Amino acid sequence: MSLAEVTWSLLNRALEAYGDSPQATAWLRRHLARFHDPVRLAVVGPARAGKSTVVNALAGELVAEPGVPDTELSWYQVRQSRSRQELLLLDTPPVDRDTESRVVEGICMEADAVLYLMRHPQDADLAFLRAVQDHPVARAAPVTALGVLSRADELGGGRVDAIVSARQIARRHRREPGLSGLCQDVLPVAGLAACAGRTLREDEFELLAALAALPKQELDPLLLSADRFAADEARAALLERFGLFGVRLATTLVRRGARGQAALSAQLLQRSGLGELRDAVELYFTDRADVLKARSALIGLEVVLRMEPRPAAGPLLAELERTVAGAHEFRELRLIAALRTGRVRLPEELSEEAFRLVGGYGGEASARLGFEAAEAAGPALRHEAVGALRRWQEYAGNPLLGAAERRAAAVVIRSCEALATS
Amino acid sequence: MASPWLDVLDDTIRACAAHERQDLVDRLRVRRAQLVEPRVRVLVFGEPSQGKSQLVNGLLNAPVCAVGDDLTTTAPVVIRHASEPVATLVTGGDDEARAIEGPGHRPVPIESAAARANADETVVRAEVGLPRELLAKGLTLIDTPPVGAPTARHTRNALAALQQADAALLVSDATKELSSSELDLLTRVCALCPTVVVVLTKIDMVPGWRRVAERNQAHLARGGLPVTVLPVSASLRLAAARAGDTALNEESGFGALVQYLHRDLIGHADLLRRRSVAALTRLTADQLTAPLRERLAAAKETDTDELTARWRAAGRKLEELQRESQRWQTLLSDEVADLVADLDFDLRDRTRRILREVDEYFEVADPAKDWDEFAEWMYENLRAVAETNSNWLLDRFEWIARKIARQVAPRGSGSLRERWLESTQLDDHVGELRRPAIERFGVGQKLFVGMRGSYSGLLMFGLATTLAGMSLINPISIGAGAAFGAKSVFEERGNRLKRRQSAARTAAHRYVDDFFLIYGKESKDTVRMIHRDLRDRCTAVAQELRVEITESAKRIKEVIDTETAQRTARVRELSKSIDELTSLRRRAQSLTAAGTVRGLTA
Repeated sequence: MSLAEVTWSLLNRALEAYGDSPQATAWLRRHLARFHDPVRLAVVGPARAGKSTVVNALAGELVAEPGVPDTELSWYQVRQSRSRQELLLLDTPPVDRDTESRVVEGICMEADAVLYLMRHPQDADLAFLRAVQDHPVARAAPVTALGVLSRADELGGGRVDAIVSARQIARRHRREPGLSGLCQDVLPVAGLAACAGRTLREDEFELLAALAALPKQELDPLLLSADRFAADEARAALLERFGLFGVRLATTLVRRGARGQAALSAQLLQRSGLGELRDAVELYFTDRADVLKARSALIGLEVVLRMEPRPAAGPLLAELERTVAGAHEFRELRLIAALRTGRVRLPEELSEEAFRLVGGYGGEASARLGFEAAEAAGPALRHEAVGALRRWQEYAGNPLLGAAERRAAAVVIRSCEALATS
Repeated sequence: MASPWLDVLDDTIRACAAHERQDLVDRLRVRRAQLVEPRVRVLVFGEPSQGKSQLVNGLLNAPVCAVGDDLTTTAPVVIRHASEPVATLVTGGDDEARAIEGPGHRPVPIESAAARANADETVVRAEVGLPRELLAKGLTLIDTPPVGAPTARHTRNALAALQQADAALLVSDATKELSSSELDLLTRVCALCPTVVVVLTKIDMVPGWRRVAERNQAHLARGGLPVTVLPVSASLRLAAARAGDTALNEESGFGALVQYLHRDLIGHADLLRRRSVAALTRLTADQLTAPLRERLAAAKETDTDELTARWRAAGRKLEELQRESQRWQTLLSDEVADLVADLDFDLRDRTRRILREVDEYFEVADPAKDWDEFAEWMYENLRAVAETNSNWLLDRFEWIARKIARQVAPRGSGSLRERWLESTQLDDHVGELRRPAIERFGVGQKLFVGMRGSYSGLLMFGLATTLAGMSLINPISIGAGAAFGAKSVFEERGNRLKRRQSAARTAAHRYVDDFFLIYGKESKDTVRMIHRDLRDRCTAVAQELRVEITESAKRIKEVIDTETAQRTARVRELSKSIDELTSLRRRAQSLTAAGTVRGLTA
């Protein structure tokens, strides 16, 4: 039985056990109802970290108004793109000393996953991330947070290649023990440029194209400072939308041959780091919606069992603990992140295979074993799975492996076993 | 000319030495040496990635400090004027214990000095000399590692450097308002180094920097920090320098910053010094005062309560002893009076019984025959009486002694329990019983008494018979004479026995009286003697106890007195030290009161 199925049955049994308590019943019913909703992703961060901008960028439309501090949680249901799964985005009030406990509570109750935005990596409020995951089930599975350096352009001083150096900074941080224990990954994104790129309008493209057509010695002084660029009203509006980095990047891209609005939009998406962020959200969150949903439901169940202990719920508690301790899905998710971020290093081809086997390219058996969905048949899959299991068992026997690699190999073996016996 | 601030600083150093804070002395000496030099040290500090190094580069129009997108600066760079560009790395400096090599100055090419300093863990700072007009008047710029960076080394270095600055520039970029941590930092810095401005960097990047600057000014005002905000853009300044564009240079905002450095800082070097010294002295005085105050509070609170309580208890004990002594003395005399009465009665009773027996005895017995036996019996009986009586006396006394001992020394001081009674054994008071004079009824006396009785009988009957014609001496008269004579003798013997018995009784009575008198006297003497002895001993023990308690009370009192005296002395001493430091602090305060200058209102 998969984690989702186990959790579903646990929730239903809890509903029976707590039939006489209206409060517990309402709570459990809410979790049951949430079970088949899209993944709820909360965008969290300190004031002016770019929460609303990132929400807009992910949504692909201007749903949230940036710069206006929200006092409540606001929900936006978005479809990231046609091929991607649905996502419920949650824009949150800024995290600071006053609001923290309320925000944390809201996130713990409502969100399945968290994007933690920071301006600079130093701002990383580890205490906040720890508070979000300060729950027995959450601690056992820190698989729901992504760190985002949300103003990556400023890290690079607004240069056209700012995102490159921001990537380097992110790479350093995703391996640091403090953040990596709490976040699956750390990614840079130039929020304004990304948002503008996704919501690029025709008139804006024309203005940008006109700017790019100016001779270099005329354009460069304009792009030197925000003050200079904003002297003209139309340009000021453009600056407001794109930021200086966005304008610089867009004009450079047009000059280098981005013809047409769609092409520029696509390039901006890539150059602002939003593409990677969306990939990561898909890889870590939406692809594993069932696991995250199960995790949220288990947390909800644990709350009920803890707040209203009763003899009938005793076996449920034991089973909950067993489920959390034995949930292989969480370990797979951690391993996917570890392989992605380089926290675990395996030989090149093995790393790729491990990533595939633990579900990095999709959770279905055929995707894990590297088959096209159409040609996959039962015996062939099983044969391949047994082969992979042998290879990995052999590899895990290597006495020269480090502790991290050995653990990774153990996780892969467990996945292979599951594939071979399914 | 000795400046007043120098005096204050020297006094501060002396105070530190007096309070045995060698660390502070060393730090202040270093600072003093710096202050005496005609330079103004300006520290550039701030949180990570705010553009501190770039600001310095912009000021100097030269890539002196290493700049990067991630954390770059880890070692401070000190830049001062020199006729030729020159750079050195300082390793293992003044108080850095972690240095592997000894203190050393290593010359390096100027372009790579900062980068090398950042790469090398052992480098304490890089020193760079540049031929710049800005520096020529004695301005020293110090670029510091970020405050609040994850690694402790950075923060420590930055804060250590702050103490040695005459003025400081807090660098904060225009992409956001001053954060609460930056405001906290600023408050802390103002205590260490009172001349601070906030430099708002990167104004080229954000369109809304004017609003940010206004907001920052408002934040500062709300935090009670009257600090100026100077917006600048280093990248515009560098671009202007490359292009030789004065308009662009004006836009970069560096003009105002340079003017501030020149006019307001270097122009008022003396004020800066006074302020630095004032802040330094204030800080040092506070640092010295805090432990003193704690000690003062501790000294005031020191507890002699327990000792005082013991002393009071001793006093109470003495009073109690006094009362007790009255009580047991009364008790003793009462007991002894009882005893005397009881003894007297007992003696009387016993002797009376003996006398009664004596009377009964001599109803029958003839003292002439049984005297010796009687004397023996009498003697034994009286002895027994004396013995019983005196034993009883001793027993009673022992009992009394115990009782009194419990009163006098309840804790069981053993001195009263001695067998002191042994020495008072009663002597033998029973004297010799004298034999009473006993008339013997001898043959001659019997004959004489018989003759006298027979004469009257003979005569009476002889005369009667004469009438009957017989002769005066005839058988009848002779017979009658003989009968009369015998009767006389018999009567006489009975009379004599009665007399003897009476004499014996009288003798016995007298004897017992004598015994009673003598023994009674002896017994009473003994009682008095023992009484006196017992009283003396009890008094002695009580006295001993009293002396003991008085002594211990005195000692406790002495301890309390000395402690109080010591404490008073300590409190006085500490108060004096605190007063001295307070006055030093006040003097430091007055240094800055001399006058304020526009732009330096910190």
